[in-house]
Amino acid sequence: MTCAVFARDVSLDTEGIHRLVVGEDQDPRPLSTAGAADELGDDFATLVLLQGAFPQSAEETVEAIKEAVPAGHRLRDQMTFVLGEGSQIAFSDQSAAIERSIRFVVTLGATANGPPEGPDILVSVFDPRQTGIELMAWDHRSGGFNYYRSMGRPSAWVFAGNSRHALVEPTEGKGPFESHKSGALLMKELKVPWVHWDSSFAHINATAFSPDDERRQHPWFTNKQPGGAYAFEFEVARPAIARWAKARFEALRASTGPIERPARIIEQVVATPTINIVSSIRESVAANMSTKPIELPATFFVDADGLAEVGLQGPPQFTVTGQIYAQSLQTFDVQLTDGGGFSQAGDTHFAFAVPERALEDVVVVREALAMGLLSRRLAACLLMTDFPNPIFSERRAALLAHVPPTAVVMNGGSSFSQETADAILAAAAEAPEGAPEREFAKRWAVGEDFDGTFNGLLRTYYDAVNAQLETQDGFDAYFQLAESRRQRVRDTMPIFESPLLFATTNIAPAALSMREDGSVR
Amino acid sequence: MAILPRFSTPGNVADANPDAWSETVLTLFDSVSAFTHFYDPTKVDTPDDAIVAPVVWPAFPASLPGPFVERLELADTHRGTQDEYCEWAVERNNAGKITRVTFTTEVPEYFEHLFETDQDALLELYHELVSTEVVLADLADEDGSYLRRNRWNDSPRGRPAHLMQGSNTLPAAVTLAAQATVLRERNGTPVTHPQALVVCSQLGEPLRGSDPQIASAVNAAVASGASVTLSDPVGLYIDGLITGGIETPDGTNPASFWTVERGDASHILRAAFEVREGEGHGYVVGDIKVDGRPIEFGGQLAVRVRVRIKAIVKAGSQPPARLPCEP
Repeated sequence: MTCAVFARDVSLDTEGIHRLVVGEDQDPRPLSTAGAADELGDDFATLVLLQGAFPQSAEETVEAIKEAVPAGHRLRDQMTFVLGEGSQIAFSDQSAAIERSIRFVVTLGATANGPPEGPDILVSVFDPRQTGIELMAWDHRSGGFNYYRSMGRPSAWVFAGNSRHALVEPTEGKGPFESHKSGALLMKELKVPWVHWDSSFAHINATAFSPDDERRQHPWFTNKQPGGAYAFEFEVARPAIARWAKARFEALRASTGPIERPARIIEQVVATPTINIVSSIRESVAANMSTKPIELPATFFVDADGLAEVGLQGPPQFTVTGQIYAQSLQTFDVQLTDGGGFSQAGDTHFAFAVPERALEDVVVVREALAMGLLSRRLAACLLMTDFPNPIFSERRAALLAHVPPTAVVMNGGSSFSQETADAILAAAAEAPEGAPEREFAKRWAVGEDFDGTFNGLLRTYYDAVNAQLETQDGFDAYFQLAESRRQRVRDTMPIFESPLLFATTNIAPAALSMREDGSVR
Repeated sequence: MAILPRFSTPGNVADANPDAWSETVLTLFDSVSAFTHFYDPTKVDTPDDAIVAPVVWPAFPASLPGPFVERLELADTHRGTQDEYCEWAVERNNAGKITRVTFTTEVPEYFEHLFETDQDALLELYHELVSTEVVLADLADEDGSYLRRNRWNDSPRGRPAHLMQGSNTLPAAVTLAAQATVLRERNGTPVTHPQALVVCSQLGEPLRGSDPQIASAVNAAVASGASVTLSDPVGLYIDGLITGGIETPDGTNPASFWTVERGDASHILRAAFEVREGEGHGYVVGDIKVDGRPIEFGGQLAVRVRVRIKAIVKAGSQPPARLPCEP
């Protein structure tokens, strides 16, 4: 966990800017004023740090930025959001010791009414009055977000990298890019009902804090953004993710040479470098109080977002009855536990929280198509390989091995897609029956006019899933599949930061996958 | 704030008979006077330190089932599905591309009030908002009462006059807020989460984006001992359009295509998204993209239109006893 280096107890000059881009720097090193001015083109650096101001607490940081600009400047537009994995568990004697991980995210540079590109600065912290701050600021000169951490006590500001560091060795996957895999803003629970967030679907009330917790009265809590995660998704997260993706692909377009290592892009199409978390829109408690069916997240069953980018048919609304869902909770002894002794029977606040393909990867599919790097046919054939497993598909990820080392895009066209397909087809000719290359070859053989065939495959699969969902055994199998995907997140992804992210079960760890006939193996 | 002298008109719109409208709202508050922690601000003092608690939700109907594209189609073709206290109607050009989407949160009760107190003003309003072809006879039923779902306000196409979906009424919102002051418990555990509270108190559809949030916000305030009311002017309002992720072909800020048509700046009753002809943009709403896709449905914008109601929370120390869930 290279991200942990930022939690080290170090003694740094609090009146200077430091650099710790993990992979390039062993330890935090001071940046000269000229060096910092040369490397950092974001508003936090230019308006605050380079002016000799080094705020300590999160609220001081936000105020320092706002005070550095005149009245009416967009950086004076502040929105505050609250989230926490244990935030829906009211404080009581029994729950007093829970680590609820309640934290604040402040944005500067946007209101709920714009601008379309989202805010320029984001600040994340557990307590507005304390340090331990994570800050992202858009670099107006070079593009991408600059990542900062406040480090040590008293704290010093450390530049931890720019979004582009997420994409290249030796910094790729290190430091903040362990979690921000492609350098994009991370909002794990991106979609409605935004499990764990204060939102238009679930409020985080003052009762989530202990009665003497001063955060109850802090303006960042009492004046949090109405609608919460609803505004964050549409006014912050989606625009910020798209902003970086556009800048990344604009840089590729502007480059005169070939695209080096296009596999870094294709990895985001066929593999699962990171995930978002999605759930039913129904509260798990309410689900148990109602006879109505429970809506399940479609992206658990298929990569609906990715397939939509290539124009393929979306899935129906998958549902399961409340009785079957409740029985599965009992069968698998589903509990919310914080790892510190607290345990509560039942699911997460919203039912059936599961990982799904991350938006930052979907946006890369969109941009690669728009640029001409990916043809619609190649994208569709890649996504339709092992399509019943929208994430964590080893079969689909295996196709990455055949991606050419470079790609050339000229005037919106490229031979890259054909070359990639040719390489996979050549491998398929030598591969054993059942190999993913063979499956890809079957998809490719459908030709350019693939919509009807692929949609037919999807419809057959959707029907099979719906049939399984009508039975207890069928849903139990999906519950086990969901748990195997959650376990993969727990075991391998640094974004798993709290035991309360998912509920726990008595299901033994196993690598499960879905078949085209809707069964689980 | 003290005692409110009278209830204002929705959006503070000009009205020749404001007292008559205030009386309409007063009657509504009288009908829920049995709820002790919901108060009438024209009769009970609201202190200066009372807290304004906005509740915000998306205009797009959250409880509509099905895949997203089908939900978009359904919502655009049936105003009756638009049940989040905000409705919209779509206009298209000959090529089928969207040219304008008009959103309204204006309650039908206010139009009934105009019908009863100032029919000239009502007709003028219809001419302004909907069509100059409207005649008064179109707006009345056989009994001579105002017809909410009249031929000019019954379509998902064109220009809406006001809310017409059966749940989108001022009495529904006021009654919900009043009923939500009842604290609930189930098996000895307080019921506080929005959907569970709606199910427990039988307040309607738990998956709506609006009612569970309103109920939960009110209920949480009352649990602390507070009394609540709704902010004057009482009504549902458009809180704004989220423009994040909206891309125009020429880079124009999409916010410039959002026009408030009715209500004051803080209490928007009606707004439209339109690329106005004559400004030289050379494209229409249907050429603008949302999350990378052209706007083909009004619902794509409705997802980003925020609807708001404001509760007033007056501190107190005596919460009511919790009652069991409704059978």
